Order: sequence, then C-alpha cells, then structure tokens
Amino acid sequence: MENTIVNFIVENIFLFLPVGLTGIIVTLFLYFTGKKENIEQNEDVVFDEWFLPKIRVNILVLVYLFIWIVLIMIGVFSDFVIPTVIGGTIAVIPLIATMLVRCRIKKSKVT
Amino acid sequence: MFFIDFNQNFEEAGKFLSLFIGLIAIVWLVLVWYSYKKYGPKRTIIYFLPIIIATIFVESAGVASGRYVYPGYFIYLSVFNGAVPLIIILGWSVNLFLFMNMGRYVVSKIYQQRNVVQIIFIALAAGLLGLCLDLIEDPIAHHNAWWVWKGSIAGIKFYEVPILNFIGWFVLIFFMTLATLLIERSRFTENRKVLLSITSISVTGTLIFIAHAAISKLFFLAGLA
Repeated sequence: MENTIVNFIVENIFLFLPVGLTGIIVTLFLYFTGKKENIEQNEDVVFDEWFLPKIRVNILVLVYLFIWIVLIMIGVFSDFVIPTVIGGTIAVIPLIATMLVRCRIKKSKVT
Repeated sequence: MFFIDFNQNFEEAGKFLSLFIGLIAIVWLVLVWYSYKKYGPKRTIIYFLPIIIATIFVESAGVASGRYVYPGYFIYLSVFNGAVPLIIILGWSVNLFLFMNMGRYVVSKIYQQRNVVQIIFIALAAGLLGLCLDLIEDPIAHHNAWWVWKGSIAGIKFYEVPILNFIGWFVLIFFMTLATLLIERSRFTENRKVLLSITSISVTGTLIFIAHAAISKLFFLAGLA
C-alpha cells in the first residue's frame, strides 16, 4: 500500500498524540470556562466593492479573477494548454456562482 | 522538531515559479490588509493563523511521508523533517479566507437563517469552490515542477495529480471553514475566540485525519487510489 499522509501519522502517532491531546484538553477547558456575552449577532454578509470605470467589482471576486488569469497565463505559456483549458473552465464555476447570486439579489431588489 | 531553512540552490526552481510566488504573496498581502481593515486584528488572527499552523503540520507530514516534494523555493518551514515552503503555507490561508467568504456570500443569499445548518452549507460551498481552483492550480504546479509527486503513486489521477489530493483539499477547507465559523459566531469574548481558534486546531485536525483516513480507505478498497 502507498505511504499516505494518514499512514505517516499513524506510524508517528507518538509524535502527534501528545500535541493533539494537549490541544483537545485545553480547547475543552477554554470552551467550558469561557464567559459568554449576550451580544445580538446578526451581521449581514456585505463585501466591499471597488469601483472600476463603469463596473462595480466585489473585492473577493476581483482577487479570485486575478488568481485565475495568472494561472491561465502560466498554464498556456508553459505549453500545458489542454489541461489549462479544462481546469480553467472548471475554475470559472466560483465566479459564475457569485455572479448568479448577485443577479438574483439585484432582481429581488427590483421586484 | 520545528525549524526554518533557507534554500540557496535555485537551479532546481521550476518554470514560472517566481511568478507563482509573487502571485501568492500579493494576494496574501491584499487579503490580510482587507481583513485587518474590515474585521480588525483579532478576527484577522482567527481567519489566518489557525490554517497556517494546521497546514504546516499537514504539508510537512505529506513531504515527510515521501509522497511529494516542493523544490526550488526560498524559505522552508519544517516539522517531522518535511520541508514545506512558507509561501505554500500562506497560500493555504488565502484559500481559506477567500473560499470561506465566497461560500458565505453565495449561501447566505440562498439560505438566510443564521444557524448550524447554514454553517455546514457554507463549509460545503467553500470546499467545493476551493476544489474548482485546485483543479487548475495543482496540475500546473506539477507540470512546472513547483510541486513534484512521486511517479509510482497508483490510482486515478487528474493530469498526474492523485485524486486523494483533491479530496484532501475539500476535507481541509470544509473542516477549517466549519471550525472558523463556529468560533466566529460563538458568544465568547473576542480574546477567548482567538485562543479557541488556535487550540481547536487539534480537534479540527483530528476530524480531518479521521475523515481523510476513512475516504482514503474507501478509495483503496474500490481500487481508485
């Protein structure tokens, strides 16, 4: 069987166990001894938008688009065209998902 | 057990590696600055530090297990003798912040109730969105030798990258998003949330380990990995 990360951790369980157990005990202590505040949390998710000429862009979408463009460029210039096109097409899904949600919000605001 | 190493041999650096490092560095700085301005220092620590610590362990275990290596980078961090580039660790924190917030944006407009179910949906969405980017990033990384997998690894691969790697991406982003949002939305004080976010890595790490081990076993039994 291949040596996976899981196998590696099992083989070195005496390294991981003390660290893991200490962390779990401290987490339980912090959780059960913590004072809880009575603050109403109903912050809505609003992301900042940057105004480019004529276009309003969500900062996270802009960052994702930047990563996507640079990766496509690297893929194409390193003669890895077909996998880049396939991977690039799949990687567009997050952009489409956020754009569809935005369109839905705009539509519901109009109606 | 933990050390920092500076690489002097850049001849082994893959094609376009400096461009890739520059990309991650710029994006990381922009997102940390954005998070600091919008959410403040404590929330920024909650969003970025736990995933950095968690991935030092996960990636270092991956390298030490002999499955892959990261040649040609400048600064390496290591636990268990598995050297992982600093920029890869920072890249993971970019992944978590970016996909957790994109997932939150998408899910909160479809399912408005702020409860545990919404958090699970957000974590699922974050994992899936992260997986989409990974399907372009990892094959390019492998092709350009920024990240080299051992050739003998069996099972289904997507352009030489084993399928279990993609499962690992999903599992890691899913559980880290889940933990981060549960802590963020808890009613503890901000200082307590920061402490919990760091110590709870052990709990989240155990869950990631169990989930990944179970999925790996299923894949091995089915002959897919």
